[in-house]
Amino acid sequence: MSHLRSILNRLLQLIPVLIGISVISFLLLRLAPGDPVRLLVGDRASPETIAAVRQQYGLDLPLPLQFLRYVSNVLQGDLGLSLRFQRPVAELIGQFMGPTLFLAGYVVVLTVPPTLLLAVAAAKRPGGFIDQLIRFLGIMGLSIPVFWLGIMMARFFGAELGWFPVSGYGQTFTAHLHHLFLPAVSISIWLIPVLTQSLRQALIERSAADFITAARAQGASEREIFWRHMLPNAILPTFNLLGVMVALIIGSTVIVESVYAVPGLGRLLIAALMGRDYYVVQGLTLVFALVTVAITLIIDIISTFIDPRVEL
Amino acid sequence: MARLLEVKDLTVRFGVTTAVRNVSLHLDQGEVLGIVGESGSGKSVTCRAFMRLLPSSATATGEVMFDGQSISAMSAKDLRRIRGRDIGMIFQNPASHLDPLLRIGAQIAEPIRRHLATGQAAAHAQAVDLLRQVGIADPAQRAQAYPHEFSGGMKQRAMIATAIGCGPKLLIADEPTTALDVTVQARILDLLRQLNQNKGLSIVLISHDLGVIAQNCSRIIVMRQGEIVEQGPTREIIEAPKHPYTRLLLESQPSRNKASNPPASSGTTQPLLAVKDLTVTFPKRRDLVSRFTGKDAEPFRALDRVSLTVEAGETVGIVGESGSGKSTLARAIVRLVAPSAGEIVFDGKPASADGAFRRAVQMVFQNPYDSLNPRLKVKEAIAEPIRRHRLADGAEIARRVDDLADKVELPSALLERYPSQLSGGQCQRVGLARALAVEPRFLIADEITSALDVTTQAQILKLLDRLRRERGLTMLYVSHDLSVVSTFCQRVYVFKAGRIVEEGPAAKVMREPADAYTRELVRSIPRLDAIEA
Repeated sequence: MSHLRSILNRLLQLIPVLIGISVISFLLLRLAPGDPVRLLVGDRASPETIAAVRQQYGLDLPLPLQFLRYVSNVLQGDLGLSLRFQRPVAELIGQFMGPTLFLAGYVVVLTVPPTLLLAVAAAKRPGGFIDQLIRFLGIMGLSIPVFWLGIMMARFFGAELGWFPVSGYGQTFTAHLHHLFLPAVSISIWLIPVLTQSLRQALIERSAADFITAARAQGASEREIFWRHMLPNAILPTFNLLGVMVALIIGSTVIVESVYAVPGLGRLLIAALMGRDYYVVQGLTLVFALVTVAITLIIDIISTFIDPRVEL
Repeated sequence: MARLLEVKDLTVRFGVTTAVRNVSLHLDQGEVLGIVGESGSGKSVTCRAFMRLLPSSATATGEVMFDGQSISAMSAKDLRRIRGRDIGMIFQNPASHLDPLLRIGAQIAEPIRRHLATGQAAAHAQAVDLLRQVGIADPAQRAQAYPHEFSGGMKQRAMIATAIGCGPKLLIADEPTTALDVTVQARILDLLRQLNQNKGLSIVLISHDLGVIAQNCSRIIVMRQGEIVEQGPTREIIEAPKHPYTRLLLESQPSRNKASNPPASSGTTQPLLAVKDLTVTFPKRRDLVSRFTGKDAEPFRALDRVSLTVEAGETVGIVGESGSGKSTLARAIVRLVAPSAGEIVFDGKPASADGAFRRAVQMVFQNPYDSLNPRLKVKEAIAEPIRRHRLADGAEIARRVDDLADKVELPSALLERYPSQLSGGQCQRVGLARALAVEPRFLIADEITSALDVTTQAQILKLLDRLRRERGLTMLYVSHDLSVVSTFCQRVYVFKAGRIVEEGPAAKVMREPADAYTRELVRSIPRLDAIEA
């Protein structure tokens, strides 16, 4: 009951957020330099053609009306037509979305186990040798640029050793796993240190908590204390951070996707920006925002199940 | 009687500081032993050392024998078998000692499953039964609740249920009622007494409150600065204390504190402060669902049409438990919270937020450390209100600060220090000096001694007594402790759930309480006289 209510409450809170997102993505196109119609028809079009196209796209209507039309189109799944590909933007995004989502999920799977292991090892003796070593490796992982690491790994594991393909996405699930391994690892290498430091800190704080002493006084073994009391109480901040990071990854896989030629949203975004494909840019902006909202929503809902005190 | 616990020459060090020095004590089966001492006396460290629960930074030497086995020499595995099964422990703050993410029932069942290898369903059934034993109504349903859904007293009951689940021989209770209201404290202590009498459970009860210890224990150990200064049967300690420190502890008990005899009121017709029908409400947290359905939660009434008066020169006490609205009243008078109805008249004029009113009415707060800016030296903290109200400048400020420090009996060497380098009592003196710096006519003391040791409390009360005589200060003394209020104030208002349930001369309220709630309050005060008589 209380879960249901807080989820409902959280969904209601989304309404103003969604309105904000739609306004911004709508204005993006209107505020962009240059006239989209000119782009569409070319520089040498006659004023009559321009007026006709303007009317065809509804650009002669007052701004609020244009906005309403945009929103109703979006609600029907119509994000416009790509100027370059001459295909519906929604279809285009749907096609490029798969690899990116797969990559993000792959990153999470590759990131969580090492994060847990490293954070626990580091928190066991704060300031000890292992803690220092993990911190040092973490700083290395954070400071190596993703593109450089990507290129190096592609050359070494891909070109030289031939273990992994250096580009593409593959056709089957296992082929996806094979193709996306290097891209996913390059992202994990900077993500793991970020999450490890957050979890390590929370674990150290929780290890001095009173309920840990109480559990010890009740004869709990250290293993029990860790899995049943310490970790669940320490995980939430890191879990929220992971959510933010996944949203970030989906919106910023550009570098990795470019290096490894993965046909994902990052590459679509680059192509659209380069080609001034405004409707695609607008659609992508909207989708990125919605994905971020959706991920934080999911994280928040899962949080209420981990901690009964969380109110949305 | 068989000896259950025997401690020999226990010494605990944290690095170079010695927290406990050469403590030897014993406990027989079925006995209730009390350890009394002020903060820093090493009593908590001592009882944690019984079960080797000290942090790794501590080194303990000496021997702890429990039921014929040496706990000191035991392997970690054997130790885990004793912890929670043969020795149960409950703690001062039940809220922080329960895991916030687990249901109460699951937490109580945990040691039962661990030690008695009981199945999940059976352990849960036992947990429900334990909840019933410790006096939780509707135990089957409440076992499904989370700690944050329990009140403080219920949390401590749940802790007790967890501790006695495996039928231990010994219960170590470390300040089990300190965080609780006095009526709740009385009920928890009752429960512990029953467990002792009906189940023969041996108990080590640790407390800073000599009254609590005296009422429940057959033998008392008095600790100070990590050492045992005196021990013996309760009656002997209370009636014929040998060590000077024990005598000081006894004299500091509010019920023994006959020194302060409040001055008679001035007899003027117009009260200095008149509060009329004061109501303060706090809105409940509104979520969007309730906003859309229109079923908005009723706002919480912290104060409900409260009327009271304070004559010039009088000291009036406000008594009540946590949540009774007494602090809200204090805050409403100094305009820290805005009342939603009613009026406050000070010296014939409606109270306002202007400088003159703010100067005339000053407040001292409960937590001595939190109410001082940690980055200001003591002398700067005292000088701040003088500067703000432009009462003096230049060298005159320094002279006034010295003068104020002298008035609150704060050694001038401490003026150069920061609050974190002071004791709680010293900080509270700084707080008083700050309040007195603007020469107020009316002083509100909001639980100013409740975070302090009993001997320090006695000193602060003596200081307040002197100040009100010398300066003719009018005082509103807010406290949860009826025994302090009844010896220190002329008149008392008893608060419950935002209302005044009783008012009258302090001695009369204490002697013949009229309201049922006041009667329970009076009855709940742990007393030494019960033993003395």
